[in-house]
Amino acid sequence: MTREQVLVETFVGLADTLVDDYDIIDFMQTLAERCVELLDVSAAGIMLVDPDGTLRHTACSSEQMRLVELLELQLEEGPCFDAFRSRAAVVCESPEEAATRWPRFAPRAQESGFVAVSAVPMRLRAEVIGALNLFSSGAACLSDDDLGVAQAMADIATIGILQERVIRDRNAVAARLELALESRVAIEQAKGIVAEHQKTDVDRAFDLIRRFTRSHNRLLSETARQIVEGTITPADLVATSP
Amino acid sequence: MAHDGLEPQRVARVVAALAAGEADPQRSLCRASARVVGVHSAGVVLILRGHALGTVCASDPVAESIEESQFTLGEGPCVDAFSSREPVLVPDLAGAGGVRWPSFRERAIAEGVQAVFGFPLLVGPTCIGALNLYNQRSGMLTDDQVADAATVAHVAGRTVLSWQSVAGEGSLAWQLEHVPAHRAVVHQATGMLSVQMAVDVDDALIMLRAYAFAEGRPITAVSDDVVAGALRFDDDASGATLG
Repeated sequence: MTREQVLVETFVGLADTLVDDYDIIDFMQTLAERCVELLDVSAAGIMLVDPDGTLRHTACSSEQMRLVELLELQLEEGPCFDAFRSRAAVVCESPEEAATRWPRFAPRAQESGFVAVSAVPMRLRAEVIGALNLFSSGAACLSDDDLGVAQAMADIATIGILQERVIRDRNAVAARLELALESRVAIEQAKGIVAEHQKTDVDRAFDLIRRFTRSHNRLLSETARQIVEGTITPADLVATSP
Repeated sequence: MAHDGLEPQRVARVVAALAAGEADPQRSLCRASARVVGVHSAGVVLILRGHALGTVCASDPVAESIEESQFTLGEGPCVDAFSSREPVLVPDLAGAGGVRWPSFRERAIAEGVQAVFGFPLLVGPTCIGALNLYNQRSGMLTDDQVADAATVAHVAGRTVLSWQSVAGEGSLAWQLEHVPAHRAVVHQATGMLSVQMAVDVDDALIMLRAYAFAEGRPITAVSDDVVAGALRFDDDASGATLG
């Protein structure tokens, strides 16, 4: 296949993630491998930020220990860390510049045979979730075109990853939606119940409900539900009112 | 590469079309839905436990009126689509297919609707409502249209959940505020009737619906009267007759 065909297939495959459940680890693994295929680099790795804000190695194009270690090393320093923090691409520096910029990372990268290192941030609008690392044993840096492709792949990967989190949470969100809507219904029904019972209008009824809720330190939705169920009667509300 | 019969390219096309809508997220969802599939009108409703309906949006007054009818009557393609979790396709409402919902059929035809298609809003195994599509002439959707509609329903379901996912714990997404607000008076009336008739709120809603149907009035209009005190269900003098 031509490079263009591989590229198209990669993008379509990434778009696949928008559709339904998929294996996120497998997905990131594939992404890293495709980067190596498409961008003429020797190795690629993905680091994602965990809930504590620490970058963690998540996937790489090969399981070589040195690659994994290089990624792990980038917790505090390195192209990945810089790309994540600055939200911008970090294009490879000369070995001298790299040594100055990343005094701990650069020597290790060199030792492992990687001469050129770059990274692009993984971001979606305001959110940056990590970075995509690209290592090369050749001295040539990524061309602008290649950097563009790398960023595009990182961007689509970000959507896929964020989407996966949404998928995992969707049942929880659907349940919250149902609860939120049901609470509204209960609140309105409770207003009607209290209004009818107290021979007053719904606004005054709402005041009574709110006052009761505050003085008993409860949630409005909770009180409303109990009124509808009958465990709290309108008389109870009036008893606590001045 | 398809999952649940949904093709990534179709999803991408639908998302692009929906995103190109107006600034108002709800309106654009419905208008764009009708446009993408190529039908006259569209409505998106949220359904809870099979009976509490709320309209997220309607593409035009016809769709709005039909959604109102489905809510008033408690029957229609969206209710069936929700229960069965399958598309409900009725290309000829005046024919045998419409017999399922005689009252709804009457109302819809009066609005000039000849064909109705309901698609469940499925997000994985969870069904949160339905997408209703209406045409003013009879005729089945093409396979392509059915696939587009299922995709739109999928995206609409995801969109609604994405709105809710960023809402605070216990809060309702601001884009959905109008959903219960629009029916507030109906629920208030239900509460009042439950006291007047000494029944639970579910039965009170059934009675309210039955009355609205018998009177040929929208349930919100009847509810307005109840809340205003102009209509009582425990007083023969007001003329409310319930069997």
